[in-house]
Amino acid sequence: MRTSLPTRFGYHGRRMTRRAETGRILATALLVCVAYYVGANVGFILRFPPATPSVLWPPNSILTATLLLSPPRRWGIYLLAAFPAHLVAELGAEWPVSLVLTLFVTNCSEALLAAICVRRFSDAPTRFDTLRRVVVFIGGAVLVAPFVSSFPDAAAVTALNGEPYWLVWRTRFFSNVLTELTLVPAIVVLITGAPAWIRRAPLRHKAEATLLAAGLLGTLVMVFVEPETGAHPIPGIPVPPLTFIVPFILWAALRFGSAGASLSLLAAALVAIWAATHGRGTFTVPLRAETILGLQIIVSILAIPLMYLAALIEERRRAEKALGERLRFEELLSRLSGAFVHLPSSEMDESFRTWLRRLCEFLRLERAALLRLSEDKELLTASHSWVAPGFDPGPGIIVIRNFPETVERLFSEQPFVLPREESLRDEAPRDEDALGQGRVRSQLTIPLVAGGRVLGGLAFDALAADRAWPEEQVQWLRLVAEVFASALARKETVDALGASELMKSAILASLSSGVAVVDRDGRVIAVNESWTRFGRENDATTYAGIGMGANYLETCRQRARHGTPHAREALAGIEAVLDGSRTGFALEYSGSAPTTERWFAMTVVPLNRPEGGAVVSHTDVTERKRAELEVQRSRQELAHFTRVSTMGELSASLAHELSQPLTGILTNAQAAQRFLDVTPPDLGELRTIVSDIISDDKRAGEVIQRLRDLLRKDVPHQLLLDLNDLIRDVARLLSSDAVIRNVTITLDLDPRPLTVTGDRVQLQQVVLNLIVNAMEAMAECAEGDGIIVVRTKYTDVEAVHVAVQDAGPGLREGSHDLVFEPFYTTKSAGMGMGLSIAKSIIEAHGGVIWAVNNPARGATFHFAMPVSARRSE
Amino acid sequence: MTESQATVVVVDDDASVRRGLERLLGCAGYRVESFASARDFLARGDYDRPGCLVVDVRMPSQSGLDLQRVLVESHHDIPVIFITGHGDIPMAVRAMKAGAVDFLPKPFDAQTLLDAIERALVKDRQRRRVNDRSV
Repeated sequence: MRTSLPTRFGYHGRRMTRRAETGRILATALLVCVAYYVGANVGFILRFPPATPSVLWPPNSILTATLLLSPPRRWGIYLLAAFPAHLVAELGAEWPVSLVLTLFVTNCSEALLAAICVRRFSDAPTRFDTLRRVVVFIGGAVLVAPFVSSFPDAAAVTALNGEPYWLVWRTRFFSNVLTELTLVPAIVVLITGAPAWIRRAPLRHKAEATLLAAGLLGTLVMVFVEPETGAHPIPGIPVPPLTFIVPFILWAALRFGSAGASLSLLAAALVAIWAATHGRGTFTVPLRAETILGLQIIVSILAIPLMYLAALIEERRRAEKALGERLRFEELLSRLSGAFVHLPSSEMDESFRTWLRRLCEFLRLERAALLRLSEDKELLTASHSWVAPGFDPGPGIIVIRNFPETVERLFSEQPFVLPREESLRDEAPRDEDALGQGRVRSQLTIPLVAGGRVLGGLAFDALAADRAWPEEQVQWLRLVAEVFASALARKETVDALGASELMKSAILASLSSGVAVVDRDGRVIAVNESWTRFGRENDATTYAGIGMGANYLETCRQRARHGTPHAREALAGIEAVLDGSRTGFALEYSGSAPTTERWFAMTVVPLNRPEGGAVVSHTDVTERKRAELEVQRSRQELAHFTRVSTMGELSASLAHELSQPLTGILTNAQAAQRFLDVTPPDLGELRTIVSDIISDDKRAGEVIQRLRDLLRKDVPHQLLLDLNDLIRDVARLLSSDAVIRNVTITLDLDPRPLTVTGDRVQLQQVVLNLIVNAMEAMAECAEGDGIIVVRTKYTDVEAVHVAVQDAGPGLREGSHDLVFEPFYTTKSAGMGMGLSIAKSIIEAHGGVIWAVNNPARGATFHFAMPVSARRSE
Repeated sequence: MTESQATVVVVDDDASVRRGLERLLGCAGYRVESFASARDFLARGDYDRPGCLVVDVRMPSQSGLDLQRVLVESHHDIPVIFITGHGDIPMAVRAMKAGAVDFLPKPFDAQTLLDAIERALVKDRQRRRVNDRSV
């Protein structure tokens, strides 16, 4: 079953079904038969009995022309078709049958010999328009074939009819020379060229041909048939009659090429010989064989140079035409090459179509297409095409596996030429089926190759008529294909670049951050939409929104001068990134929008390209900042709550702590009462008592103050403080608790002050939480074992290190980090927040906190934080 | 006062409390001796002098209850009055069972203490008489 897929390579209906082909062969055979019969009768008319050969014998030339026009595989059929005509025509001459049969064989052998010779040596057996073709034709068909075939012919006639051998040979040879010479080109040219000439030739051409034909016939009649009717051209001087027709034959040769020459020669020969054989006109004396021979020789001698001349003229005309065409083509090619050089990618599609049309018009073709090869090399797609009005536009897609040979040629970067049906079979038998589907009469496909890659093909289709593809034209079109291929490749590159550019700008546009690109000097060279919007929606303090071309650094400098917060920092950061001393810079700053305070994060990263530059982005982080502040506030509240609850736990020891000074005060006061009752009162002792009371009162006050400090709900407050002092305070606050819990707190503090910057309450809470945690860890300890050691020291990395060591059960395996997680607790009463809060406070102070088990027993909690840089201030 | 020779010994780690008690008890006519820790008192020796002890319960290293135990175990059953800034009932019960005269939470009224001391001295005298008889 044949695929119904339409194909560009489809071939025209001249490739017929077997039935139509058989019909055509039969019609041709019938035509050959009739022509042979008519030719034979014409030959009989032009005969000088009793000699058997005719002076002009058309049948042999009809056969020769038939063989030249048909493929060798059909020769047998056509020769056989002539046989009945031969029998009918010659048996009427009352010759022996054996002679009739022999003459058929010799006639056929002449035609075969002629056809074989011409086919063997001529590049175009049916054309007589170059010197070479004419030489081959005259040598093979006109001279050799009659010469050779006349020997057996004469022998047969001599043997069977008893005529003189050499007379027969001579008559036959010369008559056949003349007929081959005049008739074969005439028949071939009429069949191959006449229909097209009648259809296409301009009217003036046809008028000229008519005029020529009329003039020639008139002259022939005047010279040969009715010479007495016209005045003698040059009275007194004998002029050979043929002299008068030479100008017409020259005219025909000059203006109508070999076709014109051979047709006018044929006409001249027919008329002259007819006149001679009928004793008319010039040939008033009864003719003898010698006269006819002379006439044949004269006509032949005249004809041969004229044929050469015609061929030369035609050749010359074609060369001129080719030159003209080539010049026009070269001009076209140069315009084509120029057309694509600076053409924007968007206009290329239109331009491809325009140029396909121009090429088709120039080459007189009906269809052309740019075929693009798909990525998987499975399909060829007609990306651009042009078709003449009224013709099939052809398929848009070609499945490659249907055209293996054609595509193989494309991949090997060779043009593929299909001039005619016959050549298709020879060139690509496997493509034949697929090609048989379309209407293409001949085709040229040239690979499109750019950068060593086959992009597809440039296909030219002839739909109206067969067409040859001269090598030179194929070479020109390869140049055209090169221009197309490089334009296509450029378009691909440009389109890909465009797509990538589009992608980049789409990404930039989609970012909610304002992004600007600055060059090495800080000039803004690109911004996205958000950047511009930032400028509109926020006031100038956001830094963003600076327009294209403005200098970012200069803007920052101005704002720094006007005291805009963070402008100086931003300036330094960008400069550092631009000069390469930093690989990135980030800054958070607050700016005020018309209504609310907003927070922004600015980042600067270097632009990775040789010219340098940087990408600056500003992001509105207000929401995040609010969330952070919210978290911070809840953390503070939680911390406060934790402190309050810690204090609750400590209340018993605080009661003890307070009861000491209160007892002192009460006891002393009551003692004083008693002293006052003594007369005279011991005023010195009373003064001492009062000062003791005051001191105890102060003590009580301090306890309360410490407590209040710890419970104060306050915003963090950074100041310089000595960690050693802070630890001593906390230890004092916890001393009563330690006594109650039977725990000893030992301080082993660095003798130097440990100056850090931080919030006193928060750091107190850290120490408090760590010590309370240690005390709670030792709740189960035997008496006297409960020892807590708090150590502090400077480390060699500009940090202070605090360790709180207990002698409890230690940390459970794997819980070293978990203990700092919120709500992690091993105690039934605890909330599990103490250590977590300590961790968040230490980290907020730029420090770290960790826990390890001691080698012997218990655990040690450590924290380290930076030494204040302003210690020396 | 018939028992002018009796001595009230104060053991408290808080100096201010010690000084206040010295003055108060001195005014009340007692001989007063005071120590900052149980160890200081035990180091002095001579536990059988007439008198009584006023001892703070919570003290670093050795607590007042520890001191009471040491004395009872060595049969120096001097009457003891406990004073404490952080008292609870189990502690008080333990002290009373071990023979304490009273258990006073700080701060306390001077008269309450003096009454307790008076009772302690009575007890001390009775103890001595029994001891004399038994000797």
